[in-house]
Amino acid sequence: MSLRTKLLLLVALGIAASVGAVAWLIEERAHEAFRLVEQERTGGLVGQFRREFEHEGDEIIRGVETIANSDSILRMTTEITNGTDFANYMNEAAGYAAVQRLDFLDIVSPDGTIISSAHWPVRVGYKQRWFLDANVPLPQPAFLRHVETPQGTVLALLCLRAVHRNGLNYYLVGGRRLDAVIQVLSPPEGVRVSVYSVPEQGAPETLTITKGSLSKDAASNSAANKDGKDGKDSSLKDNLDPNKFLATIQKAMTQGSEETTTVDWGPEMQMEEIIHVIPLPGYADAKPAALLVGNSLERELTLEKRIRNISLMIAGVGVFLGVVITGILTSRMSRPVKKLALAAAQVGQGNWDVRVDVKSKDEIGKLAAAFNHMTEELMAQRERLVQTERVAAWRELARRLAHELKNPLFPLQITVENLLRARENTPEQFDEVFKESTTTLLAEIANLKTIIGRFSDFSKMPAPQLQAVDLDELVRNVVQLFQAQLARSTSKIEPVLQLGKPPAISGDPVLLRRVIENLVLNAIDAMPQGGRLTFRTVADGKFATFEITDSGKGLTQEECDRLFTPYYTTKQHGTGLGLAIVQSVVSDHQGRITVSSKKDQGTTFHVELPVWGEQLAVGN
Amino acid sequence: MAAQAESRPRYGGPVRVLLHDRVVSLDPAGEDDHPAARDRVASLMFETLTDVDAQGHARAKLATSWRVEPNKRVWQFRLRIANFHDSSPLNATDVVASLTRVNPSLKCTAIDRQTVNIETPAPVTHLPEMLALEKYAIVKRTPETPLLGTGPYRLNEWQAGERAFLSVNDDYWAGRSFPDTIEFIMGATLRDQLAERHLGQNSGAELTLDQVRGVEGANQNISLSRPSDLLVIFFLQSETAPAAAGKKTIDPRVREILSSATNRAAINNLLLQRKGAPASGLLPQWLTGYEFLFPGNFDLEHAKQLRSETAGLIIIPKISLAYDFSDPVAKLVAERVALDAREAGLSVQPYADSHVNQRSSRTAMSADAVLLRVPLASLEPSVATAAIMDDLGAADSSAALSATRPEDVYEAERKLLENFRAIPVVRIPQALWLNLGLHNWQQMSNGAWQLDQLWTEGLR
Repeated sequence: MSLRTKLLLLVALGIAASVGAVAWLIEERAHEAFRLVEQERTGGLVGQFRREFEHEGDEIIRGVETIANSDSILRMTTEITNGTDFANYMNEAAGYAAVQRLDFLDIVSPDGTIISSAHWPVRVGYKQRWFLDANVPLPQPAFLRHVETPQGTVLALLCLRAVHRNGLNYYLVGGRRLDAVIQVLSPPEGVRVSVYSVPEQGAPETLTITKGSLSKDAASNSAANKDGKDGKDSSLKDNLDPNKFLATIQKAMTQGSEETTTVDWGPEMQMEEIIHVIPLPGYADAKPAALLVGNSLERELTLEKRIRNISLMIAGVGVFLGVVITGILTSRMSRPVKKLALAAAQVGQGNWDVRVDVKSKDEIGKLAAAFNHMTEELMAQRERLVQTERVAAWRELARRLAHELKNPLFPLQITVENLLRARENTPEQFDEVFKESTTTLLAEIANLKTIIGRFSDFSKMPAPQLQAVDLDELVRNVVQLFQAQLARSTSKIEPVLQLGKPPAISGDPVLLRRVIENLVLNAIDAMPQGGRLTFRTVADGKFATFEITDSGKGLTQEECDRLFTPYYTTKQHGTGLGLAIVQSVVSDHQGRITVSSKKDQGTTFHVELPVWGEQLAVGN
Repeated sequence: MAAQAESRPRYGGPVRVLLHDRVVSLDPAGEDDHPAARDRVASLMFETLTDVDAQGHARAKLATSWRVEPNKRVWQFRLRIANFHDSSPLNATDVVASLTRVNPSLKCTAIDRQTVNIETPAPVTHLPEMLALEKYAIVKRTPETPLLGTGPYRLNEWQAGERAFLSVNDDYWAGRSFPDTIEFIMGATLRDQLAERHLGQNSGAELTLDQVRGVEGANQNISLSRPSDLLVIFFLQSETAPAAAGKKTIDPRVREILSSATNRAAINNLLLQRKGAPASGLLPQWLTGYEFLFPGNFDLEHAKQLRSETAGLIIIPKISLAYDFSDPVAKLVAERVALDAREAGLSVQPYADSHVNQRSSRTAMSADAVLLRVPLASLEPSVATAAIMDDLGAADSSAALSATRPEDVYEAERKLLENFRAIPVVRIPQALWLNLGLHNWQQMSNGAWQLDQLWTEGLR
């Protein structure tokens, strides 16, 4: 990844992170604000409920106390105390209840027998002893309790009063349905209020009353989903389903404390709602019901969604602008760096004559100047090195030439001096001496020509004529050629062939034959005491490898390092050109030759040559 | 002397009677939602061959005499000379036509103009008492005229379910009745009735039991019959008959639970203010003397135990119980029965229906059971038992009709009650308020009215 790309990414990430952080902060603030508003709305509604609850309770207390203090109750209780049958008063409660607008009224005898019941007249004679069995003082304020009616259990706000007659207590239990309290509530849009009740008998949970509705959007979502699925009505929008938060309800009713939870109504409603569960007081310590106030989070979620969308938009625009501006800036900044990188790459490829044109005076400019100075220094040093090596080569060449030419020249000089001496001292023997001397001279001159021919060969290596060559076959031919020589030497050398049938290689068979012959000759020279000469060929991917290992005394590391240097030799009569020629030929074949050696264990030459068909790729 | 004059019967004057129920047809042979009310009006227009006295014995009416063959199957009735309201004379052919229409199983033959032979498919011990039932009234049916009878009053105006205006039949064979007219107002509300009670001097009104206490408290003239009308829970689907579509058979064990859980004494003492009587049999104790033999005691523990045992064997269903929507007492009793049943773990759902008293309508009802108000049609036990059996449609009444001993009647009744398909609950009296201007309004012990000696005081 380029520096410019990194910078662009860094800037984009920075902008996105910044916008995200700001959006998160805004969302959090909005969330807190909504919670405050939601708490205020809930508090207001609960306050209204409490006021209505108390007001309705006062009305009920007033009504029940009016009945309790009426003359007719006085008369009735007196008559009953004096032995009049209950049955005569079966319909009394209905009349009292109608006058005082009570939904429920039971007139109960001291032993708990219902004398008259307004809401369920046929219960006359049944026992109603829950307030007698509780063994607690009769409560003065109104309280909630479930009342049984022919239609089922109903949650009611009740008042209980005793009527004292002749030392006996008769009881009036009167009240109204809680629906009336709920119905007068006016919850704002998006707020629902319900009463969840748990009767003493029958179904464990009952949702009795619901007031208020969701917002229009959620309602229409719900209705649309319902209509689309099964055609049912959209009553779901108004009914709080307590099954989603039963645990919260149970906790609130068990502990008697207000609890809050957030309910996700699922894909059908597409809405979340905060539910406040407020336990309502019952008789004694009972909690017969809980007020459920649901606040729709739809508005908050809509706002949060809007903030998120705006944030995304800002982040998108910011990132775009940031990338463009940063792109321009980084382009200007990274251009000299790129030039430097390009120049460094050229230096790495051996082209030291490179200069970077940077005019800035900042760190990049200083770096470019240093780079230019470095390449200049490298060029100068290389020039000096070349000159030094060139002088050294000339000196070596001169030394070699002198050395090689000096050897044949000395016999020539002696022979010529013998000729002169024989002409002067023994003319009669001159012809014989002349004959011998000319023979010697010709031999030495031939020797000189050989020496000169080798030098000539080294300078005139022909270009290889590449063709597919069977390396194993080539090796076998060379071994065959040297078979007699190997067996004839003073100490026998045993050839060992380990040919791995590599694929045909790309090479000039004549030049490669010279390479193998040269290596064999070197090996024979390395084993004056005889030994074992191992030939090995292996396939190695795009290359075939030929290895020749002797069992001689081996070479030092320094000798290995200098072995392919022209004119370097470890032999007394060598020209030092043999391995240089070998390396030159291998190199011309796009191959590579290396040497490895261990003291007293022998030396191995490794020759890697490209497989036929792969040479172009290798060459490229 | 003035007081004596006031207590002397006199001719003339209108009488107004308020009926609680609405009568839609005066045909004694037809079905009606309120046959007892219908019979009260119809009995003034249409007469039967015989009548039953307070002891349950037959006495002559349109028939002056009768005799029976030893096999108790062939009866011969001698008719009196009487005229229908169109002045046409009553003859044996009219009687044959009427009786055959009501009961096709009777083989009726006119021997001569005044003699009718009746052959029954099985021996009938009390055929004269049976023919005293209002449904056997002799009615002349012609295409041109409405129903004609021979009774002391003829129909002048008729608004079905609203009003029947009767005028006196001057040619009545037993002599003219005292009042000139009797007007029946039907279905008046309680408030209307109470208002009317103070307005009309020569008025009478049926009262339901819940109204009695208020009227008693005002020192008014109340006439209560003996507890005669039977409120009985009757399960519509018999376990022996194939189940009708949409109806389920309530297991006899469940029915027994309901019977044991029903606190009949509390219903009578509290809801009926001790004016009725708990019922365990079809006929009242005061009529038969053996009602106490039928189990009808409230035994909640037994009901609960039976329920727990039954619950292990079958799924106990919810029982829907229909009652007459126009009968406030039936409503109270049905609700109390449901309440009592709940204590025993049974679910009974009472609901109001409009035609529970019509036998033909009951077959189409979806209710499992109905709370029927069955009037005591006769003071003769075997005839009364047979009439109730016919009303319920639960059993063949021939066994009761052929009974010669009280034990036979008891056995017929026992067979009907033994599987709890019919559960007697309570017996209710007929309550009647009479204004002070009415005299000699006779109410029989089964609630039937006898108005032949009724007279009114003149305007003061």
